[in-house]
Amino acid sequence: MSQVIENPRGGCVLAGINSVLGALNRVCPVYHAGPGCCMQTTASDPGQSGNKSSSFVSSVSIPSSNMLEREVVFGGTQKLKTTIEGAVEIIDADAYFVLTGCTAGIIGDDIVSVTTEFREKGIPVFPIETPGFAGDSNLGYEVIWNTMIDQVIEPTEEKEENLVNLFGIIPYHDPFWSGNLEEISRILKKLGLKVNTFFTEQQGMETIKSCARASLNIIIHPWILKGPAERFEEKFHVPYIRYPGLPIGASDTRRFVLKVAEALKLDDRLVNQVLEEEEVYVYRYLAQAIGTLSWKKFAVVADGSTAVGITRYLANDYSFTPVLVIISEPLYRQEDKERIVTELMTLEYAKPPRVVFCADQYEINQELLKQEDISLIIGSSNEEEVSSLKEVQNIVAAFPIKDRLIFNRAYAGYRGSLTLIEDLYDNL
Amino acid sequence: MSENYSGIRESRPNRYNDLGSTGSQAEKDFKNGCLKKADRSFAQGLQCQQINSMAALMSLEDSVFIAHSPQGCVGCTSLAVDQYRVGQAHRGVKNIKNPRIIVSNLDQNNVIFGGEDKLKKAVGDATLRYHPKLIFVFASCASGIIGDDIDAILKKLQEETQALLIPIHCEGFKSKICASGFDAAFLSINQYILKKEKLEKKKGLINLFAPVSISYSDQKEMERMLSLLGLQVNYIPFYSSLEKIKEIPAAEASTSICKVFADEFMKTLYEDYKIPYSHTVMPIGVRNTDIWFRGIAGIVGKEKEAEEIIQREHERILPLVESIKDRLKGKRVFICGGTGRSFAAAALIDDFGMVLVGLETPTYDEDAQADIEYLNTIHSDYVIDIANMQPFEQVNLVKRLKPDVFIGVPEWAAKLGIPTTHVLDMKRPTMGYDGLLFLGNKIADQLENPGFNVKLSQHVKLPYKESWYEKDPFQYIIGGE
Repeated sequence: MSQVIENPRGGCVLAGINSVLGALNRVCPVYHAGPGCCMQTTASDPGQSGNKSSSFVSSVSIPSSNMLEREVVFGGTQKLKTTIEGAVEIIDADAYFVLTGCTAGIIGDDIVSVTTEFREKGIPVFPIETPGFAGDSNLGYEVIWNTMIDQVIEPTEEKEENLVNLFGIIPYHDPFWSGNLEEISRILKKLGLKVNTFFTEQQGMETIKSCARASLNIIIHPWILKGPAERFEEKFHVPYIRYPGLPIGASDTRRFVLKVAEALKLDDRLVNQVLEEEEVYVYRYLAQAIGTLSWKKFAVVADGSTAVGITRYLANDYSFTPVLVIISEPLYRQEDKERIVTELMTLEYAKPPRVVFCADQYEINQELLKQEDISLIIGSSNEEEVSSLKEVQNIVAAFPIKDRLIFNRAYAGYRGSLTLIEDLYDNL
Repeated sequence: MSENYSGIRESRPNRYNDLGSTGSQAEKDFKNGCLKKADRSFAQGLQCQQINSMAALMSLEDSVFIAHSPQGCVGCTSLAVDQYRVGQAHRGVKNIKNPRIIVSNLDQNNVIFGGEDKLKKAVGDATLRYHPKLIFVFASCASGIIGDDIDAILKKLQEETQALLIPIHCEGFKSKICASGFDAAFLSINQYILKKEKLEKKKGLINLFAPVSISYSDQKEMERMLSLLGLQVNYIPFYSSLEKIKEIPAAEASTSICKVFADEFMKTLYEDYKIPYSHTVMPIGVRNTDIWFRGIAGIVGKEKEAEEIIQREHERILPLVESIKDRLKGKRVFICGGTGRSFAAAALIDDFGMVLVGLETPTYDEDAQADIEYLNTIHSDYVIDIANMQPFEQVNLVKRLKPDVFIGVPEWAAKLGIPTTHVLDMKRPTMGYDGLLFLGNKIADQLENPGFNVKLSQHVKLPYKESWYEKDPFQYIIGGE
């Protein structure tokens, strides 16, 4: 199913699984994999996500069985066992997840039997049998939530009316994930909600275990988590809504808030008051720098969620002209593509841009090179080359990002939209 | 890298990767043949040899790099890509290029039925898109285990491909020592590009082998020093090209910036092309820079000139070193680094009168023994951890030894509140006489102002249980008795 690809954005599914776990407080991955997989997977995803990575364990501090020739020939379960024993002995984690690299996957090591031995002793060691070759890093987020649904989340019929689970802002695959989660969560809290972001505010295993108590799952993403969201609803009776892209700026964040309000039947007066306050906040700033940015015809190269968010914001709220949008992640379901296209076609005043789906860097470069008359490219670090050849402004605002440091910077919501405009200022 | 060398560093005799000891004990045990191959029953992640193979070549011009692997095996190229981009910026390139990396993206089907078609497609894409002169194909754990015959596939494709197709056998599971990946790359360069064809020697031409981790300012410093001897440098393979690689056999002599990088290859160049080489140390610190410089000067018969230059440089540098020494004398140091860097750093601290309390490095072998013998004449009592990183052992040792400063990857020691600094700066100077001053001032400044690490340690905990710090740091090393 995977295609030959030039300069892929992110690593294998193991990389995706590892980066999501890395974003969870006090969770320790244990690799049953070849000797380089810890480094490769950390470098491909967290490493290209604004130069930060898990402060708990990442890269060469992740326990690993480092499978060499002997394990390839004779099997590596014994090595895995002593590796888990060591991890449990010295690493002070709330949970350990055993992940499989290609080597373990191909030779067929039975990791479930090994982890079961530990679970029987009451040690929280969970197996994830999805070897690296099974897909790209995007899917890691789905694999994690499937694992949590199957093995971790505790069923309950008690629901908390105001508790919501927030999904779809993928740690490290969105370099701005921390800030974006914080901003969306800030807005939802103003609406009187309690928010499980899972990856901020030191939430972690306890939050995940008890998240079946939520009244609503909110997915902010055009396509991820279709299967897991349905399984979550079936198993734990929590319905979900999908907002199909990152909400950026006053218009889209209003649309997002109203969708949540409708699903939870929130008090209109409170909702309107919050919207009013936030919009006044944003426009007080925007009003102080009118005409400061020159008008731009722009192209966006990004994953679906980011591309939808940035394009709609700059077109609808900032009167820039969208020309070309390249969705740079491999998509397999037609419905997902259609959902993205619909978001990009239904703009308020602007003419819709040309939309292209391609993940291959050469093809992306060709699309940008042949597109005449653009003055701004918003993309990843990979688009700096073509931007320099075209001599147009470029901002690096999508994964992979190797030449910026990003802690809690956000582009989502109200405050994030102001940051995006700040970053677009070029003084040229 | 003689005729039958496999490229796997473990295959060389007397080379050890898992050992906890002290400087004096290790010297004795190695001499008496008492060291044994060991392993760790628990370990943290390593660096695989494929990472090194790809990083070594990634900055070559007119080249495409194909990983015959699942998507994840090009993860670490992100580091080399960044180096390549920054390196271009430092060299004044206006339109900074991405390296052309294609991954064949082996998946479930290929794992069962083979990935030949995808490899062919990748080579086809590379050719059509870039008309390169070189296409490197890097093997992976997956391609190796499923048994794709890369050599045969490429041999067949070569008939219809203009670019030179070069397979590199850097399957991760084959070696615990990531430097094997350098050897795998050079073995293929010799086999597919140089082909044992001898060239007429060019007087004064020196092969200077440099890995991706050398900053442009270090390159300039090395070139400056060699030009003082009237030598021209063929700087390879970092930021070089097919033409420069082809010129390798024309050199009068070879040397390497990094001790581990091209040591095996320089042996081969001597055997196959009669190019003498200097295999010494990494030119960090006064002593090592002197040794490195004398090494290459000796081979080209310029000993006298070299001594004059060294004396001049010393007159210029030593008074400045002395002023840094006042700030660093007597400070206790823990060093962790690659084989070349760590020993270079250990020698460097002697320039400043610092005291070695711990040394962590990936491999112990004959080269290491020579360095240890020297260090033992200066430092009486220090711990040795032969480990490829393994931060769990490192933090246990650092907490126990309480050094005044830690030299190496700062991430873990910093969280213990120890001042940290590094001699591996891929973007700024560290080498030669001029690099020394930059480095010395950096170490002194960081040691004198440890506020960040001190405060960090008050707020951030390492992931280890308190009980771990009470245990023997080497308790997971097994089978070495």
